[in-house]
Amino acid sequence: MNGPVTSGAGIYFDGATSARHEVLVTLAAGTLRISDNNGQPLADWPYGEIEQLAAPDKVLRLGRLHNTALELLEIADVAFAAEIDTRSAYVDRTGALQRRERLSVIAWSVGATLSLLLVAYFGVPAIAARLTPLLPATVERKLGDAVDTQIRGMLDAHKSATAFDCGTTAGEMPGRAALDKIMSRLEAAATLPFVLRTTVVRRNEANAIALPGGRVYVFRGLIDKAENADELAGVIAHEMGHVAHRDGTKAVLQGAGLSFLFGMLLGDFVGGGAVVFAAKSVLQSSYTREAESSADAYGAELMNKAGGDAHALAAILDRIGGATEPGMKILLNHPETKARVAAIRKLAAPRAPAPLLGGDEWSALKHICAGM
Amino acid sequence: MTGLDAGGIATSGGVRFLGQRRFYWRLLIRGAVLLAVTLGIYRFWLATDIRRFLWSNTEIAGEALEYTGTALELLLGFLIAIAILVPVYTVIFLAALDLGVIGKLSGMVAFAGLGVLGQYAIYRARRYRLTRTIYRGLRFHQEGSAWNFAFRAVAWWIVTALTFGLAYPFQLASLERYKMRHTFYGNLAGGFAASGFGLFVRGFPMWLMVFAPLALAVTGFTGEVDWKALAETLAQGGDDVMSKIEGSNPGLGSAIVFAMLMCGASITLAALLYPAFQAVVIRWWSSGLCFGDIEVRSLLRIRHVYAAYARFVGYAVLFSIVMGIGGAIILTIVGALSGAGKTAASEIIATLILLAGYVVAALGFSTIYRATVLLSLWQLSMESLTLSGLSSLEKVKATGRPSSAIGEGLADALNVGGY
Repeated sequence: MNGPVTSGAGIYFDGATSARHEVLVTLAAGTLRISDNNGQPLADWPYGEIEQLAAPDKVLRLGRLHNTALELLEIADVAFAAEIDTRSAYVDRTGALQRRERLSVIAWSVGATLSLLLVAYFGVPAIAARLTPLLPATVERKLGDAVDTQIRGMLDAHKSATAFDCGTTAGEMPGRAALDKIMSRLEAAATLPFVLRTTVVRRNEANAIALPGGRVYVFRGLIDKAENADELAGVIAHEMGHVAHRDGTKAVLQGAGLSFLFGMLLGDFVGGGAVVFAAKSVLQSSYTREAESSADAYGAELMNKAGGDAHALAAILDRIGGATEPGMKILLNHPETKARVAAIRKLAAPRAPAPLLGGDEWSALKHICAGM
Repeated sequence: MTGLDAGGIATSGGVRFLGQRRFYWRLLIRGAVLLAVTLGIYRFWLATDIRRFLWSNTEIAGEALEYTGTALELLLGFLIAIAILVPVYTVIFLAALDLGVIGKLSGMVAFAGLGVLGQYAIYRARRYRLTRTIYRGLRFHQEGSAWNFAFRAVAWWIVTALTFGLAYPFQLASLERYKMRHTFYGNLAGGFAASGFGLFVRGFPMWLMVFAPLALAVTGFTGEVDWKALAETLAQGGDDVMSKIEGSNPGLGSAIVFAMLMCGASITLAALLYPAFQAVVIRWWSSGLCFGDIEVRSLLRIRHVYAAYARFVGYAVLFSIVMGIGGAIILTIVGALSGAGKTAASEIIATLILLAGYVVAALGFSTIYRATVLLSLWQLSMESLTLSGLSSLEKVKATGRPSSAIGEGLADALNVGGY
């Protein structure tokens, strides 16, 4: 054979009916001409408008770009197909166009992922911080009540016959009174958007948590570990910092934002759930760290104002290793705690002349969960 | 053969699958890597590649199908679905915070609402796929109301759940009738002729084999337990509830063991019978399909489906061994590098390796599953077909317009997608 093949057999569907036409295809100067066996032309396709369609391996299947009717031409002869390929810009038998498209998909989705991560790291906490003050206190209180039911269900294991809350029986009343004394000192010095509701509960961890809407749970383990009333007051002041900064509500908004960003847009593939979960945990712990240090600062200032000893907060934090938030043990390891302790010490005023509670009151508070 | 009308086709014919497994493996493995790299965004391109491969390699009576959907359409459909679902999810989130009746009911209402929406999405997604399926230069299309379908489907699911699956054949038949009655190839109307009872008869023995152990477990349990004593003990409470229960119900322990054994037997049987059930359903379903005069018969063999699953198990075992060896090597190297000290950095690295291993394993198994079971099911169910009445293929006229990919997007966002 000499020179390029300029005509060959093809199978043509006109897109209007399902009839199959055996046709003659000729390659003219600017167009590909499809004509029937009698030489009657059926269609003329400019080379610039020919596109390649998905087909079995050994067939070149062509269509016409931007055509609403689904005209279809199939060429089985390899040499003839190659000739059409060289003339038509959009026919892509080597897959180069596809490869280029795939590369741009990768580039753009890596870009999208990076941009989402940036939004998650900077944007989500910023939005949550701006939205939180806009939420009316009643909404936050409702949210707090909802969280409260959940948290109580999680914390209260119903193991002991005694009530989950301490300070309710006659024997525990003096302890409750001592706690109230601390609370009124702290609340008078602070200006909180909510009325605080502080409860001591029977849990052995040295911990305290603040929920949205001003509810604070002090765990019995914390009172056991505290060496004096100022240490306990310091931790409560820290929790009041969370209440003042409305950190609980912020965390709910941040969590919802992250779930939206990652859960809806990313990670929808087998095994992707784990990636999304890991990314969320890391980001959330970075938010929490910031919230903790500003609650520390608030706590230290509040102790100064209330005439307590802010150094006591540093002391108890140093002793119990900073695990004041549940589930934060891995990321709040020792260097972090050391930095927090140092930051609190810097803010603390010189030691107060007298402890917040007298010796009798402190020992009553120590027995707030005695259960008599 | 006369020269006249040489392109005419026989009145009956078969379906061939021309795709090469090697090519499909390459497509899937590349897709799995890109899914991980792009955190899942590549799924629209992968789904399009898969469909293009399956469609264009399926040759019905001498002509291959064509899939004309694009990944960008799917991406756009997904973004639209997000725009629809964000307010829905926000309302659900806010309702769940309510302490009153709304909060308590919100979970159920959301579950039911999303269930209906999921079925709606399934119907719309089918419409998208059909209108992107081209055969002999003509488009398939689907009419009918997606909401109508969604409510039917949810009602059927409730009936099926209440009858422990016994109504499932009738559900399939009814929903398939609805789908096919509204399906067209050009101006050729589709239909579905198989009866639910036909499938019921074939599926019932399998149902019995799975549910008989469960029934035994339940009867054994209720016969052995002294409910009154048990209720009294539980009401008393106290620290040693378990020992008290044992005292009042001496047979309870063995009844629990028996029930657990029977549940295990039921699950094992269900897993073993699943390929056979799938084969029966595919055969029943494809034999019910028709377009105008064109009728379909399937001769799918159960043992071929088992062979596909056996291949999956083989590859999965091989992959697990490779993963195990690779994991051991990586862990030894990391352990040697980080030394004996347990620092925060080594902990983070270990977590990252674990995470990467999990992702690789999950993607690997899903790739193997697609390349063995799913591809084989497609190939087997296609190649087992015989079509009759093909002469009407010469005079079908084009109708129908391409539909949007919103349904696909919703199905993707709600995790109810198919191929």
